[in-house]
Amino acid sequence: MRFLLENPDAVRAAEAARDAGLDGVLLADLPAPLITAAALAGQVEDVLVAAEVTLGDRHPLELAEEAIVTDLALGGRLILVVRPAEGAEERFDEALDLLRLCLTPRPFRFEGRFWRVPANLPQNVWLPEEQVRVTPSPPRARLELWTSEHGSSGRDGGLSPSMIAGGMADGGTQFACREQWGEVALLIERLRAARPEWAVVAAPVDAARELGSIVRPRVQLHRLSPGLEAFWNAERPWEC
Amino acid sequence: MQSSAAAPGLHRTLYRRFAEDAQLADGLGFAALWVGEHRLWYDGWCPAPLHALAYAAGVTERIHLGTAMYLVPQHEPLAAARAMAALDDVSGGRFELGAGLGYRDPEFDALGLRRDRRGRLMEEYLDALEEAWAETGRRAPRIWMGGFAAPAIARAARRGYGLLLPQTLTVEEVRRVVADYRSQGGPGPVGLLREAWIGEGGERHAGRVALHLSEEAGSWFPLRDGFGFAAPEQVARQAERGRRNVALGSPEEVAAALRDVMGAGVDHVAVRFAFEFVEQPALHEQLHRLAEEVAPQL
Repeated sequence: MRFLLENPDAVRAAEAARDAGLDGVLLADLPAPLITAAALAGQVEDVLVAAEVTLGDRHPLELAEEAIVTDLALGGRLILVVRPAEGAEERFDEALDLLRLCLTPRPFRFEGRFWRVPANLPQNVWLPEEQVRVTPSPPRARLELWTSEHGSSGRDGGLSPSMIAGGMADGGTQFACREQWGEVALLIERLRAARPEWAVVAAPVDAARELGSIVRPRVQLHRLSPGLEAFWNAERPWEC
Repeated sequence: MQSSAAAPGLHRTLYRRFAEDAQLADGLGFAALWVGEHRLWYDGWCPAPLHALAYAAGVTERIHLGTAMYLVPQHEPLAAARAMAALDDVSGGRFELGAGLGYRDPEFDALGLRRDRRGRLMEEYLDALEEAWAETGRRAPRIWMGGFAAPAIARAARRGYGLLLPQTLTVEEVRRVVADYRSQGGPGPVGLLREAWIGEGGERHAGRVALHLSEEAGSWFPLRDGFGFAAPEQVARQAERGRRNVALGSPEEVAAALRDVMGAGVDHVAVRFAFEFVEQPALHEQLHRLAEEVAPQL
């Protein structure tokens, strides 16, 4: 399971994730998440940066280029999370197919209902191409591409970022200290039982410390060895 | 951030160096850093300059961050407006938009656009950008119109934008273009791109600049006698224009050349050393010398 922190202040969230040993930061509900991600690149090292963008509302080639440049700035730390743009839901599946081709370092030709690449318009007469190859290439063998849970198809194996604090749990909007440990444990139990397919958890930045020291250790193993949880509950050097 | 036949490089490394170059330029007190745009070319020319500039914004304090040029007709305008606003935010208001038309057919064609509609798209998209800024109550960034053809000058003057001229113009041509722009009420400022090399190796550098321009002209330009390399004499002429316009020599000579273009009505010179065949230590030395030995003479 991946743990990502969410906060309008991307730098603060990324630093909190890094300090808490979490995987990274989720940039969602921002006007231009890839700009925010690129600006973050040189400021906070090492953490993953998941940027949620809409798909279907503009040419997927343009989005692919922006993602690649951002991933180059991030040295390969970008996770591109796509969800259907409002009003462009019917274009989502085709856009995702085209986006995948654009993120691949080889020439392609694409003919869909909504997009044709290259278009081979009769007015564009100079050097008509049969195929195109997006450059530069992503800095990794494959740029990480997730569909968010709003996605129509769930074609990427349920890699759905989902809030564990701030909505899903009854009353558990934030992890606090001692008196809520029981609640956190309960929350995890519920989470694993209810959504075994979840591979990603996103939480508010305030939850960083508890997510790192309480939740994450408990979900890294399928089953905790006998006595380990009791030990954790008794020995709490991280106690606040 | 190009990886060419003449000087291959790993893009991940080239982008990291770009951030280091931006930091040096910022520290040396330069006014602005400019990044261009092309897409679908073998050398990986940056297709998303706003995102490269956002990377630079995160590691710099005060240098302005501009596009020379952002190919306005090739971008969906509402997403572009949001990206520009976000870049302006993360940089603390340091973004400047240099707007270009673009001219390569394959770029337009891949995006499903007709190249012969690019002028119309430019007008439409600039309107959309301005509207988007007005709606959100944002201060619009400073806008520079790229190019030197009559429609570009007229458009810049009519819209009250600055003018950002290409490196291939001679001082005399710059003077004429600026006069034309002013006569149509163009409020300025006027910027000019210029290649330069300070100190030893200027002739060799100018030769490599000419080769670089030959590759572009030969691959991209519909010329009078044919396409690109099919019109070798015109490609050679284009290369020669590039070679001739490189400001080179001692710091005094470079300063004199830059003073000449400023005397022709240019307010802002964007000096380009950063070709892919220039190693980073040499680039940094040039930036130092420009800031420390040339700029005081301007």
